[in-house]
Amino acid sequence: MAPTFTGYRRADGRVGVRNHVAVIPTSVAASSVADAIASAAGSPARATPHQMGTSQPRPAREQTERVLAGVGRNPNVGAALVVELGTEDVDAESLADEIAETGKAVETLSIREVGGTRAALARGEELVADLADEAGRARREEADASELVFGVECGGSDATSGIAANPAVGNACDRLIDDGGTASFSETPEFIGAEHILAERCVDDGVRERLLDRVSTRESMAELMGVDLRGAQPTPGNQEGGLTTIEEKSLGAISKGGTRPVRGIVDYAEQLPVGGGLVLMDTPGYDVESVVGKVAGGAQIVAFTTGRGSTTGNPIAPVIKVTGNPKTWARMANNVDVNASTVFGGESIAAVGERVYEALLAVADGRRTEAERRRLEEFAVNEIQPNELADAGADA
Amino acid sequence: MSVGGSTGIHSFSGVPRAEGTIGVRDRVLVLPSVICSHVVADRIAARVDGAVSAPHDHGCAQLGADNEQTRRAFLGLARNPNVAGVVVVGLGCEELQSDSVAAEMESAGVEVRELAIQGVGGTDACVEAGASVATELADGREDRRDSADLSDLTVGVVCSDLADSTVDRADPLAGEVVRRVVEAGGRAVVAGSERLVAHPDAAREATAPSAVSDLEALFERHRGAPAKVTRVARRASELGFADATVAWGGRRIEEVLAYGDRASIDSGLAVVDAPSEFAEAATGLVAAGAQIVLHVTADGIPAGHPLAPVVKVSADPGTVAALPDDVDLDASAASVDDALSRLLAVAGGEPSCAEEHGLSEFAITRVGPSM
Amino acid sequence: MKGRVFDEAALVMSERDNVATAVDDLDEGREFDVDGSTVRLAEAVPFGHKFALAPLDAGDEVYKYGEVIGRAMAAIEPGEWVHTHNCESTRGRGDLAAAEGGADA
Repeated sequence: MAPTFTGYRRADGRVGVRNHVAVIPTSVAASSVADAIASAAGSPARATPHQMGTSQPRPAREQTERVLAGVGRNPNVGAALVVELGTEDVDAESLADEIAETGKAVETLSIREVGGTRAALARGEELVADLADEAGRARREEADASELVFGVECGGSDATSGIAANPAVGNACDRLIDDGGTASFSETPEFIGAEHILAERCVDDGVRERLLDRVSTRESMAELMGVDLRGAQPTPGNQEGGLTTIEEKSLGAISKGGTRPVRGIVDYAEQLPVGGGLVLMDTPGYDVESVVGKVAGGAQIVAFTTGRGSTTGNPIAPVIKVTGNPKTWARMANNVDVNASTVFGGESIAAVGERVYEALLAVADGRRTEAERRRLEEFAVNEIQPNELADAGADA
Repeated sequence: MSVGGSTGIHSFSGVPRAEGTIGVRDRVLVLPSVICSHVVADRIAARVDGAVSAPHDHGCAQLGADNEQTRRAFLGLARNPNVAGVVVVGLGCEELQSDSVAAEMESAGVEVRELAIQGVGGTDACVEAGASVATELADGREDRRDSADLSDLTVGVVCSDLADSTVDRADPLAGEVVRRVVEAGGRAVVAGSERLVAHPDAAREATAPSAVSDLEALFERHRGAPAKVTRVARRASELGFADATVAWGGRRIEEVLAYGDRASIDSGLAVVDAPSEFAEAATGLVAAGAQIVLHVTADGIPAGHPLAPVVKVSADPGTVAALPDDVDLDASAASVDDALSRLLAVAGGEPSCAEEHGLSEFAITRVGPSM
Repeated sequence: MKGRVFDEAALVMSERDNVATAVDDLDEGREFDVDGSTVRLAEAVPFGHKFALAPLDAGDEVYKYGEVIGRAMAAIEPGEWVHTHNCESTRGRGDLAAAEGGADA
């Protein structure tokens, strides 16, 4: 029998593991206002401040819209407030409509229409209070593990990541997939050197070609900048932790997704299927942007392995930190949820994987992660850069 | 020389810095070296009077020129005269390592402290330790004020749109301010590379021969790529160079700066290679040395900047009516003397509208994809 | 964990590997008996870092996880620390493409 947890069943059928009121700015021009509204409103408000401009080139703007809509549609969001200055190319009303399609309450707030920053703060606080009442009517009910979309990330990696934490989280992914759920990992630059292994596991040629194409595009970014990838990958912390090359990092990184067939690869922030098995997402390796992509894709929970001790969380999805490094566990235990360094003392990967899976279900059920306790809620939208657009021959 | 005009004030009191510059604010900058430490940086700054944080999205997974640009911007910001000292907060495993960022600042004469989350053993410990060193820097400020005037100012100018009201009324007012500041021996640094890129020949003609090679380098950086601010780029190409750059005061461009670089001219006009997006441009201007920023905005973008007071200028009647608490100067009514008076008053410590509501936005522009 | 551990201190993840990973901070001079041959550490190898099990020539492929993780930049003796000073990536080398004048970019 598949394990269960209690969550918030939304009108669209998806199940949330949290019941937040998201405060989503449409651009950088409304970002600090959104942030201040959420701070003033307190629990359960969560802001998603970001730095995307008011008039981005079209492909960049479309990506921004996809991320913001996806974040609002995430089942962990019980209700949402979309905040705009009022002159952005991203239209707050259509963004709100897209979010409202999932059946949740959504309001919009225009700083210009309401009469400026101070008025927006006051009105925003009222709207969030109303939305919180609305969202607060939801009650946890029993749900099946198969309804979970589990995002998997690694950051601040070291040699222990590929030996202990990633295989353990991969084992938890296998368990969830065997129970009918979805697991997704991403960070395409960290497929470089290991893509042949993933390619062999793709369910068909279409998925395989798409995967290899995405890896090659990410790799070519080093050429675009005319530099060695080693300027960014592996990072100084990775290297200090024993990782010598991107290939070595990648070979360790892909084990966090487990061993099941690769059923698909979706774009940054594109919707992930429920009950979909292992599905990859094409994202940068840059953790905060990558996590946000998967949360926008519908992941309700993220596991984040870290050898060196990355402490970042996310405003919408709980982030479970897993370390395979005994020194990091000893020094930074209050930023880490699961100790996988026991592998070095003889605990099996399967046993640690079972503990990760238990943590996943407990967190789904409401147990707060260390990042949640500390309100570590980093958020950033990946911005498609002009030189990428030029390279891709895209029109603006 | 009478610089403030017949009705305005002529001087302000500022904070003298060791290298002879004048700060118009006296802030301790808590700078995360990477996005991963920005919540911690925010919390440190929130605990210390006089401290501000500069949360940004970067510092890791950046390649080559993009990485270098972020590093340059950090250094430029740290050396701004409004900054009394800097606390650099790292995570520990990132590309832009907090200790090397801090070492670079220290060699440039900046009073700096450094710590990393992984180094001190987690976020809780880092907030405690960071607040303690930030307090030490804040307490170490001398609280001295000297009399200063326009010649001591580097005024940053960003016009985040080219709406009709901006081109007709607000940009000309900003341009007059630029002219007066430069004539008084001060400096103006302006953002908005879209305008140069749209009119390369006119831009070359407007640029001092010594700065043309830097201008060509700017063109090269933008070659073939769409502009980050689509609306401004489109409008800039419809307008002539002169109309698109009215806010630059018709002055000759003496220096063309890469984003993050400090202006080195003694007086005159410098252009920063920054897009017309307010938050990204403001950081470029502050890194170039601007102690105060004039933001022309028909839209009424309300946020300030953590390091420099921002004076909002709008000539859009709808905006001025809709956002009375957010716009400092209604350009359809204000004279250049009014504008200079407001600028000098804010330089002297009067809060700008954005400082009154207290919300600021900080961003660093990117020139390459996240890896 | 995957692979074989020698003397509770060195992990060889696959039969094909020509490097081992230190799973403890290892001192110079420490000896490991790996499949009948003795590997003596020429220098200290910190936790998580790698040392060579077999002699490598410059240009030889370095294997860990049974997969290529890079190539040797110089000759490496068994027991030598293998890291960024003597092992380089072959992927994402935009620097090489730039050096070739971007002809293949």
